[in-house]
Amino acid sequence: MGHFFEFIVEHLSQFLQFTAFANMTVGHIIMICIGLAFIYLAIAKEFEPMLLIPIGFGILVGNVAFAPGYQIGVYESGSVLNYLYFGVLQGIYPPLIFLGIGAMTDFSALISNPKLILIGAAAQLGIFGAYCLALALGFSPTEAGAIGIIGGADGPTAIFLSSKLAPDLMGAIAIAAYSYMALVPVIQPPVMKLLTTKKERLIRMKPPRAVSKTEKIIFAIAGMLLTTFIVPSGLPLLGMLFFGNLLKESGVTKRLADTAKGPMIDVVTILIGLTVGASTQATTFLTFKSVGIFMLGAASFVVATFGGVMFVKIINLFLKEGNKMNPLIGNAGVSAVPDSARVSQVVGLEYDKTNHLLMHAMGPNVAGVIGSAVAAGILLSFLA
Amino acid sequence: MQRRIKHFLSGIAVLLLIVASTNVASAQNASDLKINEILVLNDSNTVDDFGMHTAWIEIFNSAYNTVNIGGCYLTDDLSNPTKYWIPTGDPTTKIPSRCYMVFWADNHPTRGIFHLNFDLDGAKTIALFNADGRTLVDKVDLPLENKPDITYGRPTNDSEQWVYLEKSTPGANNDYTRKKTAGESFVEIDPYGVGMTAIAMFVVFSALAILYVIYKNMGRFFIRKAAGTVKSKEKVETKVVKQVKEEISGEVNAAIAMALYMYQSEMHDHENTVLTIQKVSRNYSPWSSKIYTLRKTPR
Repeated sequence: MGHFFEFIVEHLSQFLQFTAFANMTVGHIIMICIGLAFIYLAIAKEFEPMLLIPIGFGILVGNVAFAPGYQIGVYESGSVLNYLYFGVLQGIYPPLIFLGIGAMTDFSALISNPKLILIGAAAQLGIFGAYCLALALGFSPTEAGAIGIIGGADGPTAIFLSSKLAPDLMGAIAIAAYSYMALVPVIQPPVMKLLTTKKERLIRMKPPRAVSKTEKIIFAIAGMLLTTFIVPSGLPLLGMLFFGNLLKESGVTKRLADTAKGPMIDVVTILIGLTVGASTQATTFLTFKSVGIFMLGAASFVVATFGGVMFVKIINLFLKEGNKMNPLIGNAGVSAVPDSARVSQVVGLEYDKTNHLLMHAMGPNVAGVIGSAVAAGILLSFLA
Repeated sequence: MQRRIKHFLSGIAVLLLIVASTNVASAQNASDLKINEILVLNDSNTVDDFGMHTAWIEIFNSAYNTVNIGGCYLTDDLSNPTKYWIPTGDPTTKIPSRCYMVFWADNHPTRGIFHLNFDLDGAKTIALFNADGRTLVDKVDLPLENKPDITYGRPTNDSEQWVYLEKSTPGANNDYTRKKTAGESFVEIDPYGVGMTAIAMFVVFSALAILYVIYKNMGRFFIRKAAGTVKSKEKVETKVVKQVKEEISGEVNAAIAMALYMYQSEMHDHENTVLTIQKVSRNYSPWSSKIYTLRKTPR
């Protein structure tokens, strides 16, 4: 009988050692709080709920402390989460998301006013601003490149590049990128207001012209060939983006386009969000480097907004009256589709209730997606 | 405008052809295999799987995918390119991307597929032929004098030059010195990232500026085309209307209008009111069952 109780006690204590309570650290509790904050922001404030809910819940999943060796955690070979995380590590999910983005994006605004493409290039200044700052803070060149891409305000691109350049920092970079994308309505307006005069904010832009189907088809094909011929390392992202767009614009592959922009992107978003969230285990995530990454991420968004707005102001110096652009669309060059374009619209309406900037801002917004993928390709070529 | 676009596109095509003709693409197959390192006199160097000091030949897969060397031929005599056939169907003949494989030139082919049927005593050339036995993949002319235990090889994987190597590295990279990563080298010349910012912003701007130029011109072309179509349509329409106005008198118009009115009234007054009820019977089959074609209501 005594032997039996000894057996029970021994196994009970072993069971207790396996519970999350026994393995919990302060770091895990902090991360769980961060996960809960993400979920709260997504549900109560509706900040990017499609991203913050999977990521927030993923953070909770990743920070349930467990005894290692049982193929549970995202970093343990052979675990289910590890298999799902493979798509992040190998950069499989981001191109699939780009396929969906391409299938749901209408490039008409960009095609009708090609000037707007250049704003998408100017706003990439945020990437390289953060790169310089990261180098100054002592990050290695590859880490600095991966951190810089946060300024592209493009989650899939950030995950793709960091998985290649600095896989150890990928969790922090992805979380920072998605967090700041969600906080675009908070970060950008003060910078936009600071850099523009009231007169500039009231500029009305010409309505975009109607774009033919042929133009849209040519855009998808020529856009892919031109950008990837210059930066072949951007092929996985740009190739898929324009392919998705061709599915949409060709008009004969509606089913494929519907799948790409519907069920497929939903599935991949769930997987990428959950696994990126789960990759933020306190043991690997809570470091001074992560804090630095978050600070640099915020700075990169500010610099990117600065770059976009200032570029429009400079271009306006060379444009005739009537052709001028409203600098409030400059912020939209940072990608973060469509939130940053929405910010342009909201800020524009604050000064003129009838001046709708949304359609104009969508041009630099989608150009920003192309620009950040090109920038990622350059960083990959120079630093990998 | 159309002419200009045609000229522009043909210019791009010619430029691409010129550039493409100067490049050599990697085939990602057996043609990417290279003879990488050779030891002719093995006194106290690496031993084979039988514990013997024998000459060896190292092959490097320069492709970025796995290449199967099975089926290819190794020889020390160019007049007999099919001297040693590397057996097919063996998983061990697959060389992973950027990896190496060592063959023992001991003239003992019965010891396994990696033991050749010739040795390197007096050999002047080593060659690797493709599976067809005719296409030369790589060839190395051996030096006249060979030093014992000193290997002859490429100093780096991509080098075309052959030298005596300081250290023999069978099955490994000949270049064992630590190399700076691209990032480290870049940061040495650009410690603050200013150069990177300038270059990268220039490239991003160039890429998008090219798109801008193309779409600006293309937009103009389509606007003109649309304007031309509208004008010609308007022209045709006004011409037709003029002709009709000239040809048809007011009485004819009134007659047409009356006829249309009467036709429509008639259509309205005599509607078909016959109802037919016919029983349709269908035999049950799981293929046509509604249960299998409807989604279940989520609970």
